[in-house]
Amino acid sequence: MTPFELAEPRSLQDALALLNTDDPSVRAFGGCTALMLMMKTGVFQPTCLVSLRGVEPQHAAIQSDSGVLRIGALATLTAIGGSAMVRKAAPVITHAMQTLSNVRVRNVATLGGHLAHGDPHMDLPPVMIALDAELTAVSVKGARTLAIADLFTGYYETALAKNELISEVRIPSQAGRRSAYIKCTTRTADDWPALGVAVSFATDGKVIQDARVVVSAATEKAVRLRDAEAVLNGATVSDAVLTRAGEAAAAEAEVVGDARGSAAYKREMLRVYAARAVKQALAA
Amino acid sequence: MATILGKSNSGAAMGRSIPRVEAQAKVTGKAEYVHNLRLPGMLYGKVYRSTVAHARIRGIDVSAAQAVPGVYAVYTAADIIKLIPEPYYGPAFHDQPILAVDKVHHVGEPVALVLAADPHVAEAAAQLIDADYEELPAVFDEVEAMTSKAIVHEVLKPAGTFPDLKHLKGKRDTNIALDFHLRRGDAQKAFAEADHVFEHTFRTQQVLHVPLEPFVTVADPTPNQLVIHTASQSPSFVRIEIARLLGWAENKVRVKVPYLGGGFGAKLYIKTEALTAAAALLAGRPVKIALTMEEQFYQITKHAATLRIKSGVTKEGKVTARECEVWWNGGAYADIGPRVTQKSGFTAPGPYDIDHVSIDSYALYTNLPAAGALRGFGIPQLVWAYESHTDMIAKALNIDPLAIRRKNILREGRPQATGTLMRDAGIEKVLERLAERMNWEKAFDRVVVDNGKGTLRRGRGIAIGFKASISPTTSVAIVNVSADGSCMVYCSTVDMGQGSDTAMAQFAAEALGIPVESVTVVHPDTDVTPYDMATLGSRSTYHMGHAVKLAAEDARDKLMQLAKDVGLSAETTPIPDIFRKKYGMQAGNIVGIGSYIPTYTSPDASGQTDNATPFWMIGATGAEVEVDTETGEFKITRLVNLVDVGRPVNPAIVETQISGATMMQLGFTLFERMDFDAGQCTNASLADYKIPGIRDVPLVMENEAVDMVQQSGPFGAKGVGESGTFGVSPAIASAIDDAVGVRLTSLPLTAEAVYRGLRAQAGKPLED
Repeated sequence: MTPFELAEPRSLQDALALLNTDDPSVRAFGGCTALMLMMKTGVFQPTCLVSLRGVEPQHAAIQSDSGVLRIGALATLTAIGGSAMVRKAAPVITHAMQTLSNVRVRNVATLGGHLAHGDPHMDLPPVMIALDAELTAVSVKGARTLAIADLFTGYYETALAKNELISEVRIPSQAGRRSAYIKCTTRTADDWPALGVAVSFATDGKVIQDARVVVSAATEKAVRLRDAEAVLNGATVSDAVLTRAGEAAAAEAEVVGDARGSAAYKREMLRVYAARAVKQALAA
Repeated sequence: MATILGKSNSGAAMGRSIPRVEAQAKVTGKAEYVHNLRLPGMLYGKVYRSTVAHARIRGIDVSAAQAVPGVYAVYTAADIIKLIPEPYYGPAFHDQPILAVDKVHHVGEPVALVLAADPHVAEAAAQLIDADYEELPAVFDEVEAMTSKAIVHEVLKPAGTFPDLKHLKGKRDTNIALDFHLRRGDAQKAFAEADHVFEHTFRTQQVLHVPLEPFVTVADPTPNQLVIHTASQSPSFVRIEIARLLGWAENKVRVKVPYLGGGFGAKLYIKTEALTAAAALLAGRPVKIALTMEEQFYQITKHAATLRIKSGVTKEGKVTARECEVWWNGGAYADIGPRVTQKSGFTAPGPYDIDHVSIDSYALYTNLPAAGALRGFGIPQLVWAYESHTDMIAKALNIDPLAIRRKNILREGRPQATGTLMRDAGIEKVLERLAERMNWEKAFDRVVVDNGKGTLRRGRGIAIGFKASISPTTSVAIVNVSADGSCMVYCSTVDMGQGSDTAMAQFAAEALGIPVESVTVVHPDTDVTPYDMATLGSRSTYHMGHAVKLAAEDARDKLMQLAKDVGLSAETTPIPDIFRKKYGMQAGNIVGIGSYIPTYTSPDASGQTDNATPFWMIGATGAEVEVDTETGEFKITRLVNLVDVGRPVNPAIVETQISGATMMQLGFTLFERMDFDAGQCTNASLADYKIPGIRDVPLVMENEAVDMVQQSGPFGAKGVGESGTFGVSPAIASAIDDAVGVRLTSLPLTAEAVYRGLRAQAGKPLED
């Protein structure tokens, strides 16, 4: 690692001002867990890092606002994992947090960084998409709202502009809905997953409605699988329906192979995991 | 109460779980490590490494690096040669240059070194160096290396350092550093007469040690000596080898070793020491070279291997003949690979009583990072092959895995493949105790009914392995009794986390009959602590244990004589009173010396010897697994590890040695693999090369040292550091086979490999 300047602004506005540059070697960080890996391998050599850790504490707050769960982008993953409010509103997040990376990462990594990094192996992007969450992105020019489903544009690519920061994530009321997230980890327990599958749906009696099925890690970005959703919508859950949903997911997803598994294997896992995720959501 | 010789040892020191002497210093962050050492005027060295696997160096342009403000110097081999005309080192062959000379042999080989007072400046400058290469054909696979036209080393220079490797010559114009052959009986004839002949080939992958403290050395050129502070497992070797390179007397080089943050065989012989020493002498300033975690991937690794085993078997399951061919991928430098090939080579048929044996074992050079010693020293690779082979035979003949082992194991007093008779080798005891703990002879339910998916199958497997100790090697110790009765042990055994300081204190206390709390252990410092071959191969408990015991007994005898000389009885007089009577005040020392080397007979041309090893290490593992038939994923629900360590010196440390060895091998079994693309390691970081963490520990893990005594050992003890590694891989593979009928023959055992096996079994192979 080569030396760089470290800026520690005391307000979000000051941070945004520092980031209002075309220089790609100036970047913001929350916990710096992902950036640090890139810096150690020399992939990223900063001239200036802007720490967000000293900005106003409200940007790390977790609140419930008329059924909407609002999580400040600087909330650490540990804070989110331990929040009773999160557990009540979206227990799928609490559950996912138990096996997300390791405790050292969770203690410092922030929700905003976790999403803005655009890494398809992260656990929360598919969960947030399945929950139909949205975020606020801010820059010196102002704020805008973006569905998290629209955040990811490619492998480590997002719809955020270079000088934009995520300030808040909002999860709508999940009343009447069921959700689950399961992942396939092929090496150590705390490795990045080879595959993640998040599902969320409403139930009308035994009939599934408004299903969202999201794949991550095995694909270039976290993405909804519309064909699998179509199989589930309006169907009564049975082994045959789950098999068809799994097959639709496997057929639809653009799965890529890597050191964690071949594309062929991951596609088979998606078939099995998509069905299991629905089952788990129903059992929850 | 004052200490009385032989009387003040409240309960024996041996066999007690005394807390580690360094535990408090380590957990409070006060223990001394080379990484924390900063000397006035010290420069930091950063290595520029080869980006190609095999090439002639046309030129190295260091001008841009030299021009960086704050850079003190940039060195290449041209500079090193001015100081050291023959800049090659190595324990088996002098094949490794301090910096690349004319050729590079693997990606990551040190080519140039930048020195700067600021390590960040050194790093930035190193990135500006540019080497021009003429690429050469390269060889990466160990079996291809046998016949490859690509030759890694044109000339081979045997080191001639160690008595057990005196015969090394290497084969010119080949990649064979050592070929070891053993012939016992007539295997070919026995195959012809056998009811069944089985032949299987197994593979293991290249992995590495990843001590959490990477390699680090500080060299300080003082007016009278070169002082080397280094995280080394072999301070005596470092002193002798650096002195040889410089053409100096041994006493002009001083090597000091504080605690190590893990070693596992990586920090043996010369690693960062020669480069740091040369740089410090060229610069005339203290120099520190501390590798990053990522750089460790280019320093030293564990051998990948291909192993072919063929057995002749009677219809009752008695193995009558075995042929083993083993190819060890040694990478670009021999390091200690030839010894792995030979020492581990002769146990390749396993702990079995086989009349007709043929072994061919080859240490091969390839254009990959060098391979050397790693916890088990080749044995885990061999056990992986012969125990998988044993179970494949058992299955084919419909014989129970325990029954086939009972029928064939090497029992006490029987000759091993070398002809050496088994003595104090608890093979039978370990196997029987494992069977008992596994309830092997009771029914085992393979179907898991309550998981709600109906996709889980259970299975179990057992495996047993053995290892010879390294021989012949020397340990020397000094025990110094002070006038107040407190005692210091001077020895060059390195406490790298295995608890040797505690064990050596226990040996001295036991021999003197004084409280273990009154003994301290002086860390290796070659100006102070006497010669030791190295801390490796689970040899310290036995060899240094003997030396410390002898030194303590020598001190005891001298103290008794001193008491007698002044008209006292050491058996009734407190030690301080003896000194006071002699010197009129609290003054003086009693110094005892112990030196130990076991007997050994070199193998003849057929690999036969009546004395192959001072002791045998035995380790066995039983595994129970649950396999998901829809995904190939499996979970180890129980892992039982049994070892013969002789009489445990410190039962609590013995248990952590067993579990530590087991977990390390579990990583090599399940996850770890260095991936290469044209010789470039593509996962050279802990982000991409995954080692086991706490959540990877099996749900149930049981560790036990069976009740044994090593008659020739100090107080009945022998080594323990490696035995837990032996049976892990094959026991798990056999448990998977038992559960779902899929037999894996390559490590690591991945869920994908199991899944592909299940698909092939169903007649629907997975297509890519």
